[in-house]
Amino acid sequence: MMEIKKTTAEGKMTVAIKGRIDTVTAPELSAALQLDGIDELTLDMGGVDYMSSSGLRCLLVAQKELAQRGGTMKLIKVGAVVREVLDMTGFSYFLNII
Amino acid sequence: MTFAAAKFARLLPAAMFAMLVEFVTGVASSAVCGHLIGEDGLSVVNLMQPAMGLVSFFALLTGTGTSVLYATEMGRFDRRRASEILTQGLWSALMLGGLLLAGLAAARTAVCDAFGVSGAVLAGVKEFWLWFLPCAVLEPVMFFFASMCYADGDGRICAGAYLVQLTGCCVLAVPLTKAFGFAGCALGLGLWHVAAIAVLACHLRKKSNSLEFVRYFSLADTLRICRCSVGDASVKLCQAGVFLALNLYVVARYGETWLPVLAVAVAILSLSEVFDGIGTAAQPLASVYIGERNDRLARRIMVYAGRMALWLGVAIMAALLAFPQLVVWLVGLRDGALEGSALTAVRLTSLGLPAVALVMLLNSYYTFRAKEGLASAITVLSTLAIPMALLPAANLAGNINCLWLALAASPYLALAITAWYVRTVYGKTSWPLFLSRSRERKQRVFDLELAEQAICDVAAKIGKFLRIRQGMNEKRAGLSSLLVEETLMTVKERNRGKLIRSEITIDRNDPQTLTMTIRDDGEIFDLTDADAEVNSLRAYLVANIMTALPARRNMTTTGFNRNCFKI
Repeated sequence: MMEIKKTTAEGKMTVAIKGRIDTVTAPELSAALQLDGIDELTLDMGGVDYMSSSGLRCLLVAQKELAQRGGTMKLIKVGAVVREVLDMTGFSYFLNII
Repeated sequence: MTFAAAKFARLLPAAMFAMLVEFVTGVASSAVCGHLIGEDGLSVVNLMQPAMGLVSFFALLTGTGTSVLYATEMGRFDRRRASEILTQGLWSALMLGGLLLAGLAAARTAVCDAFGVSGAVLAGVKEFWLWFLPCAVLEPVMFFFASMCYADGDGRICAGAYLVQLTGCCVLAVPLTKAFGFAGCALGLGLWHVAAIAVLACHLRKKSNSLEFVRYFSLADTLRICRCSVGDASVKLCQAGVFLALNLYVVARYGETWLPVLAVAVAILSLSEVFDGIGTAAQPLASVYIGERNDRLARRIMVYAGRMALWLGVAIMAALLAFPQLVVWLVGLRDGALEGSALTAVRLTSLGLPAVALVMLLNSYYTFRAKEGLASAITVLSTLAIPMALLPAANLAGNINCLWLALAASPYLALAITAWYVRTVYGKTSWPLFLSRSRERKQRVFDLELAEQAICDVAAKIGKFLRIRQGMNEKRAGLSSLLVEETLMTVKERNRGKLIRSEITIDRNDPQTLTMTIRDDGEIFDLTDADAEVNSLRAYLVANIMTALPARRNMTTTGFNRNCFKI
């Protein structure tokens, strides 16, 4: 199960995610990350207790899209389990984690 | 259907078929000789039963033990040791077969003369014995290859080999017996073994073959193999003993003319071979689980096997009670005076079949559980000791029907005595499987068919179970969950369009370590290979997980993937 709360204002989008980002739920996150007209994306990962490679793919796609047009993406409130996955794969080196 | 049930169901038909063929080939000689030669033919084959039982004993003595020890070593992930056992198994079959051939050749005249028969029957048994001698080597070698192909998960080629043998014994034996009499029938038995060995050898060329012969010889291993087999093999030895005793008793008490009726009862007793198929089907799986110390799944397999044994025993008993004339017709008994007695013999002897099925299963189980003494004891009790103990009582009653009743009661009494002994000596919870409930309580099994939703659900359940029920920290529980999802999704993606089953065992018997074993029946593939080709983000993550988990092992076992991780 995953819940997504999205707020958008003046080219800034904040997405608060709660639950598990896995193979089944990742397409939902992917659909939520429609970044047309967005320059700054903040992903609030405080409620995420698990993320698999499908979640990593969503992050990678969003990061790539924003970087191509000079936008930024940051992850906030990253929990220990998700941090472990990001560290293990080296994603923590190129993602902006606060 | 669970993974274990699916594997058992896949192995069961081939094992049952193999044992059915074993039974039919055993009875086929009686049937062919009975139909083509007459009552004398039936008597001759019946007198040969002890020798045939002895050959089967030697075949089981090497084949069973090798497959049990091989599967157990594979269960421990020790491939080199498994190959050594395999090689020594073949040496053992050849050596023991050679010794048996020499022994049977030397004893031929003396044993045949001791049967107390004369004329055409004596000449026939001597002729049959002579041409049967090559089977002393061929049957152990054939059974060795059949057991090992089976342990390697190739039930199909085993079935093919047994089909060749069945065709030979039932169809091709007819012209050979017509042309050469007893010599043709006996010679045919050897020829069908050669043909079956040729079919089984094809397994060694298959891609899925994991049987590897190495340069190795150890008499100590031959002893280990024999010790491990003796429980299972003792069935044949006991049967040979009881058939010999019954032959001598019936000839002495009722006369040579009653031998065909005894042949009918012997055919029913030989049905124990069919029931042995259930233990044979359970053995490769249960041995691996026992090698892993996975008591929960070992019990699961044996519960399936027990239910199947009981059901089959009752079904065959009911069929024989309803249609006893089938057996009488099968062995070619046409003497009207004896026919009524033969029908009663079938009905009374068949009453013991449900218990025989359970005795055979327990015998197989105790054999691969390395409780050879108990395996032998239950067999000796059921097949030899109790029938022999009841023989004087049957003799006093003066009615041959009491003999059949004694044979039927024996397996029930053997079960009761064994249950009493195990519960008294080892404790109530040890009966009948010797598995630890406390160990099982620390093991959890998850079964699934690989679909995205099912994989994610199981991964989530495992994470939750480890965190909440096992008190594991969030990081380790999360890594375990991740491991499950990523590896199973990898398996699913490699087997697109196929129904793949998986079984995950979580073992927490070591409080410091979580042992996770993931099995799947998809394409053979080493999930634990950290250097596997990375062609997707998932493959990249899996490779990183593998690097983070140094204690991991992969081994193809009984034809399916088995990956073990310590977290």
